[in-house]
Amino acid sequence: MLRKEQNDLLTQTGPGTPMGQMFRCSWIPALLSEELPERDSPPVRVKLLSERLLAFRDSEGRLGLIDEFCAHRGISLWFGRNEEKGLRCPYHGWKYDVTGQCIDVPSEPAESGFCNKIKLKSYPLIEKGGILWTYMGPPEKRPPEPSWEFASVPDKQRFVSKRHQECNWLQAMEGGIDSSHVSFLHRGDLGSDPLFKGAKGNQYNLGDARPVFEVVESPGGLYIGARRNAENGKYYWRITPWVMPSFTMIAPRGNHSVHGHFWIPIDDENCWTWSFDYHPIRELTAAEVAAMREGKGVHVALIPGTYRPTANKDNDYLMDRAAQKAGHSYSGVAGFAMQDASVQESMGPIVDRTKENLVSTDNGIIMARHRLMRAAKALVEKGITPPGVDPEHQKIRSVAIVLPADVPYKEGAKEALIAKPGVAPATV
Amino acid sequence: MASESARMSSAAEARFRIDAPNSKGRAIKIIALDAPAERVVRRLAQASWNRASFFTASAFAGPPASGESFSMTGWLSDVAGRTKNLIDDVACADLIVMVATAGENAHAATIIGEAASAKRVNTTGLIIGGAGKSDEALAKTLAQLRPWSLMLVIAGADDYVEDMLVALRA
Repeated sequence: MLRKEQNDLLTQTGPGTPMGQMFRCSWIPALLSEELPERDSPPVRVKLLSERLLAFRDSEGRLGLIDEFCAHRGISLWFGRNEEKGLRCPYHGWKYDVTGQCIDVPSEPAESGFCNKIKLKSYPLIEKGGILWTYMGPPEKRPPEPSWEFASVPDKQRFVSKRHQECNWLQAMEGGIDSSHVSFLHRGDLGSDPLFKGAKGNQYNLGDARPVFEVVESPGGLYIGARRNAENGKYYWRITPWVMPSFTMIAPRGNHSVHGHFWIPIDDENCWTWSFDYHPIRELTAAEVAAMREGKGVHVALIPGTYRPTANKDNDYLMDRAAQKAGHSYSGVAGFAMQDASVQESMGPIVDRTKENLVSTDNGIIMARHRLMRAAKALVEKGITPPGVDPEHQKIRSVAIVLPADVPYKEGAKEALIAKPGVAPATV
Repeated sequence: MASESARMSSAAEARFRIDAPNSKGRAIKIIALDAPAERVVRRLAQASWNRASFFTASAFAGPPASGESFSMTGWLSDVAGRTKNLIDDVACADLIVMVATAGENAHAATIIGEAASAKRVNTTGLIIGGAGKSDEALAKTLAQLRPWSLMLVIAGADDYVEDMLVALRA
Protein backbone atom coordinates (compact mmCIF):
# COMPACT_ATOMS: atom_id res chain seq x y z
CA MET A 1 0.00 0.00 0.00
CA LEU A 2 0.91 3.60 -0.35
CA ARG A 3 -0.28 6.57 1.62
CA LYS A 4 -2.46 8.94 -0.39
CA GLU A 5 0.25 11.57 -0.64
CA GLN A 6 2.71 8.96 -1.92
CA ASN A 7 0.21 7.77 -4.50
CA ASP A 8 -0.36 11.36 -5.59
CA LEU A 9 3.37 11.96 -5.82
CA LEU A 10 3.98 8.96 -8.06
CA THR A 11 0.93 9.31 -10.30
CA GLN A 12 0.91 13.05 -11.01
CA THR A 13 3.19 14.11 -13.85
CA GLY A 14 1.93 17.53 -14.86
CA PRO A 15 4.16 20.64 -14.87
CA GLY A 16 5.71 21.35 -11.48
CA THR A 17 5.08 17.93 -9.97
CA PRO A 18 8.02 15.84 -8.71
CA MET A 19 7.33 12.91 -11.03
CA GLY A 20 6.64 15.35 -13.83
CA GLN A 21 10.10 16.76 -13.23
CA MET A 22 11.53 13.27 -13.40
CA PHE A 23 9.93 12.53 -16.76
CA ARG A 24 11.20 15.92 -17.93
CA CYS A 25 14.80 14.83 -17.30
CA SER A 26 14.83 12.29 -20.16
CA TRP A 27 14.07 11.99 -23.84
CA ILE A 28 10.64 10.36 -24.04
CA PRO A 29 8.81 8.88 -27.03
CA ALA A 30 6.33 11.43 -28.37
CA LEU A 31 5.16 10.07 -31.72
CA LEU A 32 5.88 7.36 -34.23
CA SER A 33 7.83 8.64 -37.22
CA GLU A 34 4.93 7.47 -39.39
CA GLU A 35 2.71 10.13 -37.82
CA LEU A 36 4.71 12.89 -39.53
CA PRO A 37 5.59 10.97 -42.67
CA GLU A 38 6.85 13.79 -44.89
CA ARG A 39 7.65 17.47 -45.14
CA ASP A 40 4.61 19.69 -44.70
CA SER A 41 2.46 16.71 -43.69
CA PRO A 42 -0.53 17.51 -41.46
CA PRO A 43 0.32 18.55 -37.90
CA VAL A 44 -0.53 16.13 -35.09
CA ARG A 45 -2.04 16.95 -31.72
CA VAL A 46 0.05 15.52 -28.90
CA LYS A 47 -0.72 15.57 -25.21
CA LEU A 48 2.22 14.61 -23.02
CA LEU A 49 2.72 15.01 -19.28
CA SER A 50 -0.57 16.96 -19.16
CA GLU A 51 0.59 19.52 -21.73
CA ARG A 52 -1.31 20.09 -24.98
CA LEU A 53 1.17 20.26 -27.85
CA LEU A 54 1.28 20.13 -31.61
CA ALA A 55 3.91 18.30 -33.66
CA PHE A 56 4.81 19.07 -37.26
CA ARG A 57 7.52 18.54 -39.85
CA ASP A 58 8.16 21.70 -41.84
CA SER A 59 9.03 22.24 -45.50
CA GLU A 60 12.72 21.63 -44.77
CA GLY A 61 12.11 18.47 -42.78
CA ARG A 62 12.73 20.12 -39.44
CA LEU A 63 10.67 18.74 -36.55
CA GLY A 64 8.78 20.88 -34.08
CA LEU A 65 6.73 20.28 -30.96
CA ILE A 66 5.03 23.48 -29.88
CA ASP A 67 2.17 24.75 -27.73
CA GLU A 68 -1.02 23.66 -29.48
CA PHE A 69 -2.73 27.03 -29.26
CA CYS A 70 -2.13 30.24 -31.16
CA ALA A 71 -0.85 33.10 -29.05
CA HIS A 72 -3.34 35.48 -30.68
CA ARG A 73 -6.83 34.19 -29.85
CA GLY A 74 -6.08 30.74 -28.53
CA ILE A 75 -7.37 28.55 -31.32
CA SER A 76 -5.88 25.16 -31.94
CA LEU A 77 -3.11 25.29 -34.50
CA TRP A 78 -4.09 21.79 -35.55
CA PHE A 79 -6.35 23.66 -37.98
CA GLY A 80 -3.29 25.43 -39.33
CA ARG A 81 -1.65 25.23 -42.73
CA ASN A 82 1.75 23.57 -42.70
CA GLU A 83 3.55 25.27 -45.57
CA GLU A 84 6.57 27.37 -46.50
CA LYS A 85 8.73 26.61 -43.44
CA GLY A 86 6.07 27.11 -40.82
CA LEU A 87 2.62 26.55 -39.50
CA ARG A 88 0.11 29.28 -40.23
CA CYS A 89 -2.99 29.80 -38.10
CA PRO A 90 -6.04 29.80 -40.38
CA TYR A 91 -7.89 32.34 -38.24
CA HIS A 92 -5.79 35.50 -38.78
CA GLY A 93 -2.68 34.11 -40.46
CA TRP A 94 -0.16 34.21 -37.65
CA LYS A 95 2.70 31.89 -38.53
CA TYR A 96 5.11 29.89 -36.36
CA ASP A 97 8.32 27.99 -37.01
CA VAL A 98 9.35 24.66 -35.41
CA THR A 99 10.78 26.46 -32.38
CA GLY A 100 7.44 28.15 -31.69
CA GLN A 101 8.81 31.50 -32.80
CA CYS A 102 6.17 33.62 -34.52
CA ILE A 103 7.57 34.61 -37.92
CA ASP A 104 4.64 36.47 -39.44
CA VAL A 105 1.71 38.53 -38.18
CA PRO A 106 -0.01 39.74 -41.36
CA SER A 107 -1.97 42.52 -39.64
CA GLU A 108 1.20 44.19 -38.36
CA PRO A 109 3.83 45.93 -40.47
CA ALA A 110 6.79 43.59 -40.92
CA GLU A 111 9.17 46.38 -39.98
CA SER A 112 7.44 46.76 -36.59
CA GLY A 113 9.12 43.56 -35.45
CA PHE A 114 5.98 42.65 -33.55
CA CYS A 115 6.19 38.97 -34.45
CA ASN A 116 9.58 38.74 -32.77
CA LYS A 117 7.82 39.37 -29.50
CA ILE A 118 5.59 36.32 -29.89
CA LYS A 119 6.93 32.86 -29.12
CA LEU A 120 5.07 29.72 -28.17
CA LYS A 121 6.52 27.25 -25.72
CA SER A 122 8.30 24.50 -27.64
CA TYR A 123 10.31 21.38 -27.04
CA PRO A 124 12.98 19.72 -29.15
CA LEU A 125 11.84 16.80 -31.26
CA ILE A 126 14.34 14.34 -32.73
CA GLU A 127 13.95 11.20 -34.82
CA LYS A 128 15.61 7.95 -33.89
CA GLY A 129 14.63 4.34 -34.40
CA GLY A 130 11.24 5.06 -35.95
CA ILE A 131 10.28 7.26 -33.01
CA LEU A 132 10.09 11.02 -32.56
CA TRP A 133 11.51 11.75 -29.12
CA THR A 134 11.09 14.89 -27.10
CA TYR A 135 12.82 16.37 -24.12
CA MET A 136 10.52 18.55 -22.02
CA GLY A 137 12.97 19.72 -19.36
CA PRO A 138 15.10 22.82 -18.96
CA PRO A 139 17.22 23.47 -22.10
CA GLU A 140 20.39 23.80 -20.06
CA LYS A 141 19.96 20.25 -18.76
CA ARG A 142 19.24 18.60 -22.11
CA PRO A 143 20.64 15.06 -21.87
CA PRO A 144 22.48 13.11 -24.59
CA GLU A 145 20.21 11.55 -27.20
CA PRO A 146 18.54 8.23 -26.32
CA SER A 147 20.86 5.21 -26.38
CA TRP A 148 18.36 2.34 -26.18
CA GLU A 149 19.56 -0.59 -28.26
CA PHE A 150 16.20 -1.16 -29.94
CA ALA A 151 16.30 2.38 -31.32
CA SER A 152 19.89 2.02 -32.49
CA VAL A 153 19.71 -1.12 -34.62
CA PRO A 154 18.99 -0.91 -38.38
CA ASP A 155 15.32 -0.34 -39.24
CA LYS A 156 14.77 -3.87 -40.55
CA GLN A 157 15.71 -5.32 -37.19
CA ARG A 158 12.97 -3.40 -35.36
CA PHE A 159 9.21 -2.96 -35.10
CA VAL A 160 7.61 -0.31 -32.87
CA SER A 161 3.97 0.32 -32.05
CA LYS A 162 2.00 2.37 -29.58
CA ARG A 163 -1.46 2.18 -28.10
CA HIS A 164 -3.60 4.40 -25.98
CA GLN A 165 -4.09 3.02 -22.49
CA GLU A 166 -6.91 4.48 -20.44
CA CYS A 167 -5.29 4.62 -17.02
CA ASN A 168 -2.45 6.27 -15.16
CA TRP A 169 1.06 5.43 -16.31
CA LEU A 170 2.13 3.90 -12.99
CA GLN A 171 -0.38 1.05 -12.85
CA ALA A 172 0.45 0.22 -16.46
CA MET A 173 4.18 0.28 -15.76
CA GLU A 174 3.77 -1.77 -12.59
CA GLY A 175 2.19 -4.47 -14.70
CA GLY A 176 5.41 -4.60 -16.68
CA ILE A 177 7.52 -5.42 -13.63
CA ASP A 178 4.95 -7.67 -11.99
CA SER A 179 6.51 -10.93 -13.14
CA SER A 180 4.28 -13.12 -11.00
CA HIS A 181 1.15 -12.40 -13.07
CA VAL A 182 2.49 -14.16 -16.16
CA SER A 183 1.71 -17.65 -14.86
CA PHE A 184 -1.96 -16.68 -14.58
CA LEU A 185 -3.05 -13.88 -16.88
CA HIS A 186 -1.00 -14.99 -19.87
CA ARG A 187 -1.24 -18.72 -19.28
CA GLY A 188 -2.04 -20.48 -22.54
CA ASP A 189 -0.49 -17.90 -24.84
CA LEU A 190 3.13 -19.02 -24.53
CA GLY A 191 2.40 -22.11 -26.58
CA SER A 192 0.29 -20.45 -29.26
CA ASP A 193 1.56 -16.95 -29.94
CA PRO A 194 3.85 -17.06 -33.00
CA LEU A 195 6.23 -14.56 -31.39
CA PHE A 196 6.73 -16.68 -28.28
CA LYS A 197 6.17 -20.33 -29.06
CA GLY A 198 8.81 -22.98 -29.60
CA ALA A 199 11.52 -21.70 -27.26
CA LYS A 200 13.11 -24.14 -24.84
CA GLY A 201 12.63 -21.57 -22.09
CA ASN A 202 8.88 -22.03 -22.42
CA GLN A 203 9.25 -25.56 -21.11
CA TYR A 204 10.87 -24.23 -17.95
CA ASN A 205 8.06 -21.70 -17.62
CA LEU A 206 5.33 -24.24 -18.03
CA GLY A 207 7.10 -26.84 -15.92
CA ASP A 208 7.43 -24.64 -12.87
CA ALA A 209 4.39 -22.47 -12.16
CA ARG A 210 5.80 -21.12 -8.91
CA PRO A 211 8.90 -19.13 -9.78
CA VAL A 212 11.00 -17.57 -7.08
CA PHE A 213 11.87 -13.91 -7.49
CA GLU A 214 14.97 -11.92 -6.74
CA VAL A 215 15.00 -8.14 -6.96
CA VAL A 216 18.34 -6.40 -7.30
CA GLU A 217 19.02 -2.69 -7.66
CA SER A 218 20.79 -1.67 -10.85
CA PRO A 219 22.42 1.65 -11.74
CA GLY A 220 19.39 2.67 -13.79
CA GLY A 221 16.66 1.03 -11.75
CA LEU A 222 16.17 -2.64 -11.05
CA TYR A 223 16.77 -6.13 -12.27
CA ILE A 224 13.88 -8.45 -11.52
CA GLY A 225 14.89 -12.07 -11.80
CA ALA A 226 12.39 -14.92 -11.97
CA ARG A 227 13.98 -18.25 -11.14
CA ARG A 228 12.75 -21.68 -12.15
CA ASN A 229 14.31 -25.09 -11.84
CA ALA A 230 16.36 -26.33 -14.77
CA GLU A 231 18.34 -29.55 -15.25
CA ASN A 232 21.16 -30.81 -13.01
CA GLY A 233 20.32 -28.56 -10.10
CA LYS A 234 20.73 -25.39 -12.15
CA TYR A 235 18.32 -22.47 -12.35
CA TYR A 236 16.62 -20.95 -15.39
CA TRP A 237 16.56 -17.19 -14.94
CA ARG A 238 14.41 -14.64 -16.73
CA ILE A 239 15.78 -11.20 -15.97
CA THR A 240 13.65 -8.12 -16.59
CA PRO A 241 15.48 -4.81 -16.40
CA TRP A 242 13.47 -1.76 -15.37
CA VAL A 243 15.07 1.60 -16.12
CA MET A 244 13.61 4.65 -14.44
CA PRO A 245 11.08 5.96 -14.80
CA SER A 246 9.18 3.68 -17.16
CA PHE A 247 11.22 1.38 -19.43
CA THR A 248 11.20 -2.39 -19.25
CA MET A 249 12.37 -5.25 -21.43
CA ILE A 250 10.95 -8.75 -21.37
CA ALA A 251 13.41 -11.63 -21.27
CA PRO A 252 13.91 -13.22 -24.70
CA ARG A 253 12.65 -16.62 -25.79
CA GLY A 254 14.80 -18.68 -28.14
CA ASN A 255 15.63 -16.87 -31.34
CA HIS A 256 12.49 -14.76 -31.22
CA SER A 257 12.87 -11.02 -31.24
CA VAL A 258 13.21 -9.25 -27.90
CA HIS A 259 10.44 -6.95 -26.73
CA GLY A 260 9.82 -4.22 -24.25
CA HIS A 261 7.83 -1.16 -23.35
CA PHE A 262 7.77 2.46 -22.33
CA TRP A 263 4.77 3.89 -20.51
CA ILE A 264 4.50 7.61 -21.12
CA PRO A 265 1.89 9.75 -19.38
CA ILE A 266 -0.57 11.60 -21.60
CA ASP A 267 -2.18 13.07 -18.52
CA ASP A 268 -2.80 11.59 -15.10
CA GLU A 269 -5.59 9.31 -16.33
CA ASN A 270 -4.19 8.16 -19.68
CA CYS A 271 -0.88 6.97 -21.01
CA TRP A 272 0.79 5.72 -24.15
CA THR A 273 1.99 2.16 -24.02
CA TRP A 274 4.92 1.96 -26.40
CA SER A 275 5.87 -1.54 -27.48
CA PHE A 276 8.93 -2.56 -29.42
CA ASP A 277 10.38 -5.73 -30.84
CA TYR A 278 13.91 -6.01 -32.18
CA HIS A 279 16.65 -8.48 -32.71
CA PRO A 280 20.20 -7.32 -31.98
CA ILE A 281 21.81 -9.31 -34.80
CA ARG A 282 19.26 -10.16 -37.46
CA GLU A 283 16.48 -8.62 -39.49
CA LEU A 284 12.93 -9.41 -38.48
CA THR A 285 11.25 -11.77 -40.90
CA ALA A 286 8.24 -10.78 -42.97
CA ALA A 287 6.17 -13.28 -40.99
CA GLU A 288 7.27 -11.74 -37.70
CA VAL A 289 6.44 -8.22 -38.82
CA ALA A 290 3.08 -9.37 -40.18
CA ALA A 291 2.29 -11.00 -36.82
CA MET A 292 3.23 -7.81 -34.99
CA ARG A 293 1.03 -5.74 -37.27
CA GLU A 294 -1.82 -8.16 -36.57
CA GLY A 295 -1.40 -7.58 -32.85
CA LYS A 296 0.51 -10.65 -31.79
CA GLY A 297 3.15 -10.71 -29.08
CA VAL A 298 3.22 -7.45 -27.14
CA HIS A 299 1.43 -5.51 -29.89
CA VAL A 300 -2.29 -5.01 -30.47
CA ALA A 301 -4.71 -4.67 -33.33
CA LEU A 302 -5.77 -1.03 -33.63
CA ILE A 303 -8.89 0.68 -34.85
CA PRO A 304 -7.80 1.87 -38.32
CA GLY A 305 -6.64 5.47 -38.33
CA THR A 306 -6.18 5.54 -34.57
CA TYR A 307 -3.93 4.19 -31.87
CA ARG A 308 -6.86 2.85 -29.88
CA PRO A 309 -6.99 -0.93 -29.55
CA THR A 310 -9.78 -2.76 -31.37
CA ALA A 311 -10.53 -4.50 -28.09
CA ASN A 312 -11.18 -1.75 -25.59
CA LYS A 313 -13.31 -0.84 -22.61
CA ASP A 314 -16.26 0.13 -24.82
CA ASN A 315 -16.64 -3.47 -26.00
CA ASP A 316 -15.48 -5.18 -22.81
CA TYR A 317 -12.22 -6.02 -24.57
CA LEU A 318 -14.10 -8.55 -26.73
CA MET A 319 -14.23 -10.86 -23.74
CA ASP A 320 -14.70 -14.46 -24.87
CA ARG A 321 -16.22 -16.43 -22.00
CA ALA A 322 -16.31 -19.61 -24.05
CA ALA A 323 -12.56 -19.42 -24.70
CA GLN A 324 -12.03 -18.69 -21.03
CA LYS A 325 -14.11 -21.67 -19.98
CA ALA A 326 -12.46 -23.95 -22.50
CA GLY A 327 -9.03 -22.92 -21.28
CA HIS A 328 -7.90 -21.46 -24.60
CA SER A 329 -7.38 -18.18 -22.83
CA TYR A 330 -7.04 -17.85 -19.08
CA SER A 331 -8.57 -14.38 -18.93
CA GLY A 332 -10.95 -14.59 -21.87
CA VAL A 333 -9.29 -11.56 -23.46
CA ALA A 334 -7.15 -12.29 -26.50
CA GLY A 335 -3.48 -11.36 -26.68
CA PHE A 336 -0.81 -10.49 -24.12
CA ALA A 337 -1.15 -6.74 -24.50
CA MET A 338 -4.90 -6.50 -24.11
CA GLN A 339 -4.86 -9.03 -21.29
CA ASP A 340 -2.62 -6.58 -19.47
CA ALA A 341 -4.51 -3.46 -20.54
CA SER A 342 -7.91 -4.87 -19.65
CA VAL A 343 -7.02 -5.65 -16.06
CA GLN A 344 -5.02 -2.46 -15.59
CA GLU A 345 -7.77 -0.21 -16.95
CA SER A 346 -10.33 -2.04 -14.81
CA MET A 347 -8.53 -0.70 -11.74
CA GLY A 348 -9.84 2.78 -12.63
CA PRO A 349 -8.02 5.81 -14.04
CA ILE A 350 -5.78 6.11 -10.98
CA VAL A 351 -5.91 3.13 -8.68
CA ASP A 352 -6.30 3.90 -4.99
CA ARG A 353 -3.22 2.25 -3.55
CA THR A 354 -4.28 2.95 0.02
CA LYS A 355 -6.64 -0.01 -0.36
CA GLU A 356 -4.33 -2.57 -1.92
CA ASN A 357 -2.90 -5.58 -0.10
CA LEU A 358 0.52 -6.32 -1.50
CA VAL A 359 2.28 -9.59 -0.79
CA SER A 360 5.87 -10.67 -0.75
CA THR A 361 6.03 -11.42 -4.48
CA ASP A 362 5.19 -7.76 -5.11
CA ASN A 363 8.64 -6.68 -3.98
CA GLY A 364 9.56 -5.64 -7.51
CA ILE A 365 6.73 -3.13 -7.45
CA ILE A 366 7.52 -2.05 -3.90
CA MET A 367 11.17 -1.49 -4.76
CA ALA A 368 10.32 0.41 -7.95
CA ARG A 369 8.09 2.79 -5.99
CA HIS A 370 10.78 3.12 -3.33
CA ARG A 371 13.37 4.06 -5.95
CA LEU A 372 11.04 6.46 -7.76
CA MET A 373 10.14 8.28 -4.55
CA ARG A 374 13.77 8.47 -3.47
CA ALA A 375 14.89 9.75 -6.88
CA ALA A 376 12.06 12.30 -7.07
CA LYS A 377 13.01 13.64 -3.65
CA ALA A 378 16.68 13.88 -4.59
CA LEU A 379 15.79 15.64 -7.83
CA VAL A 380 13.44 18.18 -6.28
CA GLU A 381 15.46 18.90 -3.14
CA LYS A 382 19.02 18.60 -4.42
CA GLY A 383 18.78 18.73 -8.18
CA ILE A 384 20.30 15.26 -8.52
CA THR A 385 19.76 13.76 -11.98
CA PRO A 386 17.67 10.61 -11.60
CA PRO A 387 18.82 7.15 -12.70
CA GLY A 388 17.95 6.30 -16.28
CA VAL A 389 19.09 9.58 -17.83
CA ASP A 390 22.70 8.46 -18.19
CA PRO A 391 23.12 6.84 -21.63
CA GLU A 392 25.01 3.97 -20.00
CA HIS A 393 21.86 3.07 -18.04
CA GLN A 394 20.04 2.71 -21.35
CA LYS A 395 22.52 0.27 -22.89
CA ILE A 396 20.79 -2.66 -21.30
CA ARG A 397 19.30 -6.00 -22.26
CA SER A 398 16.89 -8.48 -20.79
CA VAL A 399 18.31 -11.95 -20.34
CA ALA A 400 17.18 -15.58 -20.28
CA ILE A 401 19.93 -17.81 -18.96
CA VAL A 402 20.65 -21.04 -17.09
CA LEU A 403 23.10 -20.60 -14.22
CA PRO A 404 24.52 -22.74 -11.42
CA ALA A 405 22.39 -22.59 -8.27
CA ASP A 406 24.81 -20.60 -6.16
CA VAL A 407 25.59 -17.82 -8.63
CA PRO A 408 24.09 -14.34 -8.11
CA TYR A 409 22.37 -13.71 -11.42
CA LYS A 410 23.62 -10.16 -11.52
CA GLU A 411 27.12 -11.63 -11.67
CA GLY A 412 26.36 -14.65 -13.82
CA ALA A 413 24.58 -12.51 -16.41
CA LYS A 414 26.79 -9.43 -15.98
CA GLU A 415 27.96 -9.25 -19.59
CA ALA A 416 24.67 -10.42 -21.04
CA LEU A 417 22.81 -7.56 -19.34
CA ILE A 418 24.82 -4.98 -21.32
CA ALA A 419 23.75 -4.14 -24.87
CA LYS A 420 26.68 -4.63 -27.23
CA PRO A 421 26.22 -3.91 -30.95
CA GLY A 422 26.42 -7.05 -33.07
CA VAL A 423 26.50 -9.41 -30.10
CA ALA A 424 23.78 -12.06 -29.86
CA PRO A 425 21.47 -11.85 -26.85
CA ALA A 426 21.63 -14.39 -24.02
CA THR A 427 18.50 -16.43 -24.51
CA VAL A 428 17.04 -19.88 -23.92
CA MET B 1 -26.75 -2.71 -17.87
CA ALA B 2 -24.27 0.10 -18.03
CA SER B 3 -22.92 -0.81 -14.62
CA GLU B 4 -21.89 -4.19 -15.99
CA SER B 5 -19.67 -2.65 -18.64
CA ALA B 6 -15.95 -2.09 -18.50
CA ARG B 7 -16.79 1.48 -19.50
CA MET B 8 -17.71 2.09 -15.90
CA SER B 9 -14.07 2.09 -14.84
CA SER B 10 -14.13 5.88 -14.95
CA ALA B 11 -13.08 8.42 -12.35
CA ALA B 12 -16.73 9.33 -11.77
CA GLU B 13 -17.65 5.71 -11.16
CA ALA B 14 -14.78 5.31 -8.70
CA ARG B 15 -16.93 7.28 -6.24
CA PHE B 16 -19.18 4.28 -5.94
CA ARG B 17 -16.51 1.83 -4.97
CA ILE B 18 -17.24 0.20 -1.64
CA ASP B 19 -15.28 1.92 1.06
CA ALA B 20 -14.91 -0.78 3.66
CA PRO B 21 -11.89 -2.61 5.05
CA ASN B 22 -10.87 -5.45 2.77
CA SER B 23 -8.24 -7.21 4.84
CA LYS B 24 -7.22 -8.21 8.33
CA GLY B 25 -3.78 -7.55 9.72
CA ARG B 26 -1.07 -10.02 8.85
CA ALA B 27 1.41 -11.25 11.42
CA ILE B 28 4.82 -10.45 10.00
CA LYS B 29 7.93 -11.51 11.88
CA ILE B 30 11.10 -9.65 11.02
CA ILE B 31 14.25 -11.47 12.07
CA ALA B 32 17.75 -9.99 11.94
CA LEU B 33 20.33 -12.59 11.03
CA ASP B 34 23.48 -10.71 12.01
CA ALA B 35 24.65 -7.88 14.21
CA PRO B 36 24.47 -4.99 11.66
CA ALA B 37 21.00 -6.15 10.59
CA GLU B 38 20.02 -6.28 14.24
CA ARG B 39 20.73 -2.57 14.58
CA VAL B 40 18.39 -1.85 11.69
CA VAL B 41 15.68 -4.11 13.09
CA ARG B 42 15.95 -2.59 16.56
CA ARG B 43 15.52 0.87 15.08
CA LEU B 44 12.49 -0.24 13.10
CA ALA B 45 10.96 -1.80 16.20
CA GLN B 46 10.69 1.66 17.74
CA ALA B 47 8.07 2.67 15.18
CA SER B 48 4.37 1.91 15.37
CA TRP B 49 3.27 -1.18 13.45
CA ASN B 50 0.07 -3.12 13.00
CA ARG B 51 1.08 -6.72 13.60
CA ALA B 52 4.81 -6.71 12.97
CA SER B 53 7.16 -8.11 15.57
CA PHE B 54 10.92 -7.95 15.58
CA PHE B 55 13.52 -10.52 16.54
CA THR B 56 17.17 -11.30 16.28
CA ALA B 57 18.76 -14.63 15.44
CA SER B 58 22.29 -13.34 15.33
CA ALA B 59 23.30 -15.61 18.22
CA PHE B 60 22.10 -18.77 16.48
CA ALA B 61 24.44 -21.71 16.24
CA GLY B 62 25.40 -22.83 12.76
CA PRO B 63 23.43 -25.40 10.79
CA PRO B 64 24.11 -29.07 11.56
CA ALA B 65 27.28 -30.49 10.16
CA SER B 66 27.09 -32.99 7.37
CA GLY B 67 25.70 -36.30 8.59
CA GLU B 68 24.09 -34.87 11.71
CA SER B 69 20.34 -35.03 12.05
CA PHE B 70 18.62 -31.74 11.53
CA SER B 71 16.85 -30.03 14.35
CA MET B 72 14.58 -27.06 13.95
CA THR B 73 14.91 -26.32 17.61
CA GLY B 74 16.13 -22.81 17.87
CA TRP B 75 15.64 -19.70 19.85
CA LEU B 76 15.04 -16.17 18.88
CA SER B 77 15.33 -13.05 20.94
CA ASP B 78 12.87 -10.25 20.73
CA VAL B 79 14.21 -6.73 20.79
CA ALA B 80 13.75 -6.57 24.55
CA GLY B 81 16.09 -9.55 24.89
CA ARG B 82 13.45 -12.12 25.82
CA THR B 83 14.02 -15.61 24.51
CA LYS B 84 11.41 -16.86 22.04
CA ASN B 85 10.81 -20.31 20.66
CA LEU B 86 11.44 -20.27 16.92
CA ILE B 87 8.82 -22.83 15.99
CA ASP B 88 6.13 -21.17 18.09
CA ASP B 89 6.75 -17.80 16.51
CA VAL B 90 7.01 -19.11 12.98
CA ALA B 91 3.83 -21.13 13.38
CA CYS B 92 1.75 -18.06 14.13
CA ALA B 93 3.28 -15.90 11.37
CA ASP B 94 1.84 -15.03 7.97
CA LEU B 95 5.23 -13.99 6.65
CA ILE B 96 8.81 -14.30 7.85
CA VAL B 97 11.19 -11.55 6.77
CA MET B 98 14.86 -12.37 7.25
CA VAL B 99 17.18 -9.37 7.20
CA ALA B 100 20.86 -10.00 6.52
CA THR B 101 23.82 -7.78 5.81
CA ALA B 102 25.97 -8.38 2.74
CA GLY B 103 29.18 -10.10 3.74
CA GLU B 104 27.89 -11.23 7.14
CA ASN B 105 27.17 -14.80 8.12
CA ALA B 106 23.49 -15.63 7.53
CA HIS B 107 23.60 -19.25 8.59
CA ALA B 108 20.51 -18.82 10.78
CA ALA B 109 18.53 -18.62 7.53
CA THR B 110 18.80 -22.39 7.27
CA ILE B 111 17.08 -23.11 10.56
CA ILE B 112 14.47 -20.39 10.16
CA GLY B 113 13.84 -21.43 6.60
CA GLU B 114 13.38 -25.07 7.58
CA ALA B 115 10.92 -24.06 10.27
CA ALA B 116 8.99 -21.83 7.85
CA SER B 117 8.94 -24.57 5.27
CA ALA B 118 7.62 -27.09 7.80
CA LYS B 119 4.88 -24.70 8.88
CA ARG B 120 4.11 -23.59 5.29
CA VAL B 121 4.88 -19.95 6.01
CA ASN B 122 6.20 -17.68 3.24
CA THR B 123 9.67 -16.23 3.61
CA THR B 124 11.29 -13.10 2.25
CA GLY B 125 15.01 -12.49 2.43
CA LEU B 126 16.39 -8.97 2.45
CA ILE B 127 20.08 -8.32 1.98
CA ILE B 128 21.08 -4.80 2.92
CA GLY B 129 24.34 -2.91 3.00
CA GLY B 130 25.48 -4.26 -0.35
CA ALA B 131 26.85 -0.93 -1.54
CA GLY B 132 30.59 -0.91 -1.04
CA LYS B 133 30.79 -4.65 -0.39
CA SER B 134 32.57 -6.99 -2.77
CA ASP B 135 30.67 -9.29 -5.09
CA GLU B 136 32.15 -12.22 -3.19
CA ALA B 137 30.84 -10.94 0.12
CA LEU B 138 27.39 -10.45 -1.34
CA ALA B 139 27.48 -13.87 -2.99
CA LYS B 140 28.31 -15.54 0.32
CA THR B 141 25.29 -14.08 2.08
CA LEU B 142 23.11 -14.64 -0.96
CA ALA B 143 24.03 -18.32 -1.09
CA GLN B 144 22.89 -18.75 2.50
CA LEU B 145 19.58 -16.95 2.04
CA ARG B 146 18.58 -18.06 -1.44
CA PRO B 147 17.50 -21.65 -0.64
CA TRP B 148 15.17 -20.39 2.09
CA SER B 149 13.68 -17.27 0.55
CA LEU B 150 10.63 -17.39 -1.68
CA MET B 151 11.37 -13.74 -2.43
CA LEU B 152 14.82 -12.24 -2.19
CA VAL B 153 15.68 -8.55 -2.37
CA ILE B 154 19.12 -7.02 -2.49
CA ALA B 155 18.62 -3.43 -1.41
CA GLY B 156 21.17 -0.66 -1.62
CA ALA B 157 19.88 1.20 1.41
CA ASP B 158 18.52 0.22 4.83
CA ASP B 159 15.46 2.41 4.42
CA TYR B 160 14.00 -0.10 1.99
CA VAL B 161 13.18 -2.42 4.88
CA GLU B 162 10.82 0.14 6.38
CA ASP B 163 9.24 0.99 3.02
CA MET B 164 8.65 -2.70 2.33
CA LEU B 165 7.05 -3.30 5.71
CA VAL B 166 4.75 -0.30 5.28
CA ALA B 167 3.82 -1.52 1.80
CA LEU B 168 2.91 -4.92 3.25
CA ARG B 169 0.80 -3.29 6.00
CA ALA B 170 3.08 -4.83 8.63
